[in-house]
Amino acid sequence: MATILETAAAAGMFTTLLAAVDAAGLRTALEGPGPFTVFAPVDEAFAGLPPGTVQTLVDNPPQLARILKYHVLSGAHRREELVSRPEWESLEGAPIPIRRADPFEVKNATVINPDVPCDNGVIHIINRVILPG
Amino acid sequence: MKPSTHRFADVIHRLEAGGSMLPDTPENLQQIIGIYKAYAVPMDFYWRDLLYIAEQVFLQPLPAFKYVISQAYLDRPNSYAGAQSKLPIWRGTEKAHPELLAFMERGETRPMPKILHHLWHDRVNMEFAEACMQAMFWHQGMGGRFNDYLESEAYRINADRAIKAYFQGNLVMLGLYKLFPDMFLEQVRQLSYYANLGLFWEVMAPVFFEMSDLYDEGKLTSVPQAMDFLVNGIFAVAGRPIYHHVFIRGECFEIIPKGEGFTWLYEAALPYVEAVFYRTSPFRGTKSYNAQADQVPADQAEFHYGILYADVYPVGSAGIPPTLLMQDMLHFLPPYLQAMYRTHKRGEEDQLIQLGITFQRSMYNVTSAVIQALRCALLYPLDDTDPEHLLANRQFFEAQMDRFLRPEARLADIQTSDYR
Repeated sequence: MATILETAAAAGMFTTLLAAVDAAGLRTALEGPGPFTVFAPVDEAFAGLPPGTVQTLVDNPPQLARILKYHVLSGAHRREELVSRPEWESLEGAPIPIRRADPFEVKNATVINPDVPCDNGVIHIINRVILPG
Repeated sequence: MKPSTHRFADVIHRLEAGGSMLPDTPENLQQIIGIYKAYAVPMDFYWRDLLYIAEQVFLQPLPAFKYVISQAYLDRPNSYAGAQSKLPIWRGTEKAHPELLAFMERGETRPMPKILHHLWHDRVNMEFAEACMQAMFWHQGMGGRFNDYLESEAYRINADRAIKAYFQGNLVMLGLYKLFPDMFLEQVRQLSYYANLGLFWEVMAPVFFEMSDLYDEGKLTSVPQAMDFLVNGIFAVAGRPIYHHVFIRGECFEIIPKGEGFTWLYEAALPYVEAVFYRTSPFRGTKSYNAQADQVPADQAEFHYGILYADVYPVGSAGIPPTLLMQDMLHFLPPYLQAMYRTHKRGEEDQLIQLGITFQRSMYNVTSAVIQALRCALLYPLDDTDPEHLLANRQFFEAQMDRFLRPEARLADIQTSDYR
């Protein structure tokens, strides 16, 4: 198996997310043993944000890191386990609500592909960037 | 989905169709754009002076000249205007707006030294900006993590370093600090809110200038377009850092470092809207309230003295914050708004009231932009096909409209053109 970041890179649909992880300086952390649960927005999800949104964040790594950390949970949690609780605390600190089990929805994003196993955690591929609040 | 049965169902359906709380009419568009322009010019002074006070005046015990801003801060490049900007929202100048500089030179009277303009009170009313800052400072706890950080040990250590550096060699002030450390710390917390609001308004001034220019060019033709421009602006700068740096004898003290990760949207914009548009506090000299008879809510979250609830007529009295703003905007009204006010009510005699009500309309549009931005960030697209998603959007809009059910709210009034 590969790590979370290696898996994401091989998938070819997370170019923006991976660039953002580098810009925010989170690569080392995400390459660590973890384990982590990552809700990974596809490139189209970032492209769907109004112009300038991503650029402002990329220019400001601590702020970008905060938004990215909202997509990460501590521990490797598969879909089955995630839907058993109404919300989970993200590494950012704010809770991520699990809104629906079927179709599987995390906050206002739909999980396109759940439970992608990795060496140091699990990836759930989502169709929208999720934001705290 | 069935139609909403909410009292403001018409407004909710309009929001669901991508509209604003303010009806889309050519006159509404003209009013709000005109007042955005008139608001942006003094705002260009507010943000500069707020940062000047937070970063330079700092703990000056007798800050008599805090409104006499330095040339460096008048020239300070706006991060969102001009060719130097990485994200130029307004194509105009990054330095202080020319109309602002002309007004500072001449005032309502005639050209004279700054200090005389200041003493004659012929100047931009910074007291309004400070009242907004105080509303944010006083209400606190309106989302975001700014306030928690102000209470943290890290903040105390950073503030302590700055306080000791600022009063270096001043035994009286250092002695007072030793005796009353929390008093000084509280002052620094307030100064952090000066920085917060300054950084917030630094964005809004170019946003409003650009909207005015687009309108003049015929490129902004409807109220929803004006709202969408604001929604896009909110997203574009959402991740801007909110911080507080102080410059003491040339050295920068990071009281709130950018590295804390505080953002424009969460730590400034949303608390600002809550504190200033919705809550604020009763203004002195407008009306008497009996708190013991529950005329003032016990819960701060229930405060409803902001522009969205204001009865503009009594707040048109001298010296209170909204009137100070009205007076500031009066100096920079575009000619088309002046002409409009002359043809209604008492013409020039009650321009301040008329522009106050225009301002209220315009802030309902800004609030609509905030509501739509939150819907976009936290919920679902308006054209989503999943009925549960549409229901979640409906419930969100209805919950927002619930805040305008109280009798003081002006949402019903702004639906008609005869409210002036």
